[in-house]
Amino acid sequence: MNLRYSSRAAAALLAAFVASPGGTGAQEGGAAPAAASPGGAETSGAAAEEERRKLEEEIQKEMGGATSGRGATGVSKAQPAEPGPPAAPSATGGNPFARLLLLPDVSAIASVTADWNDQTDKVGFAFEELELALQAVVDPYARADVFVSFSDGKADVEEAYLTTLSLPAGLQLRAGRLFSPFGRINQTHPHVQEFIEAPLAHRLLADENLGGAGLVASWLVPLPWFAELQAAAQSTAPTEADEARFTGLARLSQYFPIGAAATLGVGLSAARRDEAAGQFRDLLGGDLYLRIRPPASRAYLALSAELHARRFQGVPGVAEDFEEGWWAQAFERFSPYWGAGLRYERAPAGAMPGDEKRIGAVLAWLPSEFQRIRLEASYDLLPDDTHAVTALLGLEFGIGAHGAHPF
Amino acid sequence: MTPTSRLLALLAFALPATALAGPRVVTTTEGLASLVREVGGDAVKVESLSRGIQDPHFVDANPILAVKLRDAELLVDVGLDLEIGWLPPLVVQSRNPAILPGGPRRLTAASAVQVLDVPTGPVDRSLGDLHPAGNPHFLSDPRRGLQVSSAIARKLGEIDPANAQAYERRLADLRTRLEADLKRWEAQLAAVKGARIFTRHRTLTYFLDWSGLVSAGELEPRPGVPPPPGHLADLVEVAKRDGVKAIAVENFYDTKSAEVVARHSGAKVVPIPGDVGGEPDVKTYERYVEVLVSRLCEAVR
Repeated sequence: MNLRYSSRAAAALLAAFVASPGGTGAQEGGAAPAAASPGGAETSGAAAEEERRKLEEEIQKEMGGATSGRGATGVSKAQPAEPGPPAAPSATGGNPFARLLLLPDVSAIASVTADWNDQTDKVGFAFEELELALQAVVDPYARADVFVSFSDGKADVEEAYLTTLSLPAGLQLRAGRLFSPFGRINQTHPHVQEFIEAPLAHRLLADENLGGAGLVASWLVPLPWFAELQAAAQSTAPTEADEARFTGLARLSQYFPIGAAATLGVGLSAARRDEAAGQFRDLLGGDLYLRIRPPASRAYLALSAELHARRFQGVPGVAEDFEEGWWAQAFERFSPYWGAGLRYERAPAGAMPGDEKRIGAVLAWLPSEFQRIRLEASYDLLPDDTHAVTALLGLEFGIGAHGAHPF
Repeated sequence: MTPTSRLLALLAFALPATALAGPRVVTTTEGLASLVREVGGDAVKVESLSRGIQDPHFVDANPILAVKLRDAELLVDVGLDLEIGWLPPLVVQSRNPAILPGGPRRLTAASAVQVLDVPTGPVDRSLGDLHPAGNPHFLSDPRRGLQVSSAIARKLGEIDPANAQAYERRLADLRTRLEADLKRWEAQLAAVKGARIFTRHRTLTYFLDWSGLVSAGELEPRPGVPPPPGHLADLVEVAKRDGVKAIAVENFYDTKSAEVVARHSGAKVVPIPGDVGGEPDVKTYERYVEVLVSRLCEAVR
């Protein structure tokens, strides 16, 4: 360790430290209390701060700029954040739980459904997904979140990304494999969504979630409300038939408080994906979210709407117009145990020209925070006037320590 | 105002207010905020992320709270996983590394008190949604409230050395006042020592530890699990057998099951503030403890 400068720097540090009256350094009593001017508490406080800043700059210079400015986040003085259960009466042999303390948070969330529709009039079961999550801080500078999804016969890294914790100026970087910052629902895992079935309009983005390997930079804009600007570069493969290709994305999401009980979220997203040479796919999205929850209650009403639009450019045989799809839904959580929602949506049918329309309803029962049973029914109308009624019954359960969910 | 000047005014408003005399403190609960206010006085600007009328276990991880955390020069949280469902993602979202767990501008109040209800055997969620690290509702005990206040004064002095002496002075004032209160409260409580009460959730463990009142059980059979009729019937029997006179229910809980037990057993439902701010006139920590003591003493006398 290059600590040669230390004697001089330490003296300066000590001087700076004792300069502030009441600073703990004063107890050491060794160095003369250089600037403990009586009655000048405020000015000496500011002076000490200034001195301290100069000292830091000096040290930075002496270290050849090798240290990161905000590097050590005060690990030295840190108290244990969560005093664990009182350790065994004595530390003989050390802490027997040391390995456990270093384990990341591990959780598994499983989802299984039964479905019926009036076309086949048959009941089928499906194992939708088992999501295994591993979450922990990596070091003082970053944390990691890994989500592996297992479904019938395959395992897939859903997301696995590093998030920086100590970049300056409200910046944050995420790198790894991650869902694209496009719209609201695209960034959420299925077990966070109110409906079992994904919205139809989502097919304009991808089969499942739009995402892939890459990097997301986000900036918390210094405004009095929440405003986050994100820019991403990823390789995405929207469908299984697609090759992974470069995709550039941008998103602005904002949240505004409306009185004490409501929050309005507004998001705008845009993306361009390279297709073949000189060919592009453009995506545009807008999302609204209004959550009304009187603070004294656990009941809430969430209204949300999202619009996705897609167009291809320069692709032979494909019209260059935007195709749009959208949905609007209301979900009311009546109590900690019950909730119900309605959704209306329309999106290009895909197999034939024109829009598919769907109206759906869901009833959710949550016996505890860790289990959810949902009954969902929907009525689909295709452009050729054929229609279908579908019913789904879904069970979800989670075990282990799973990170808190986004708003 | 021209658009530009309006934008500038907005930006000025948004910038961390370095011009303030003392640090900008954010707490997770109003109880902690009131202690910071006692110790910090006019020097600090303090804001709580949750409100006293709210159940602190179930606050939304609303991004607007991340904005408050971004500007925080000190975050005081309860700890023991009380805020596990909402605080961690907000802290990451705030991009304020100093308030991360273990950071120099983070004070976890639980580190200042002796924790009760720490599970000793194996733990799983068949036991309900319990707090595996121990019971986080320690501010209902004024002795622990004072310990937390000392930790706050120490921390404030650490990050704002210029005002350290003022914080210590205000802490000493608070101690003098609380010690006088304690004498008075303890005299009131001596008359009802050993009286048994029900609570909704295990929120009063620390209050009972101090007050000498005794828990005869909780309405929730297990933490976070709604009371089934059979359990309530058991409680009615316990109430009749042991002469339980009071069922304490915090403002953020539904009183229906408490009323059922009350009707069948003759015990009284005693609404209590769950925290400072839980009722309109409970604006300070002293007032909060005062209300707990007076309501429960009156109910069990």
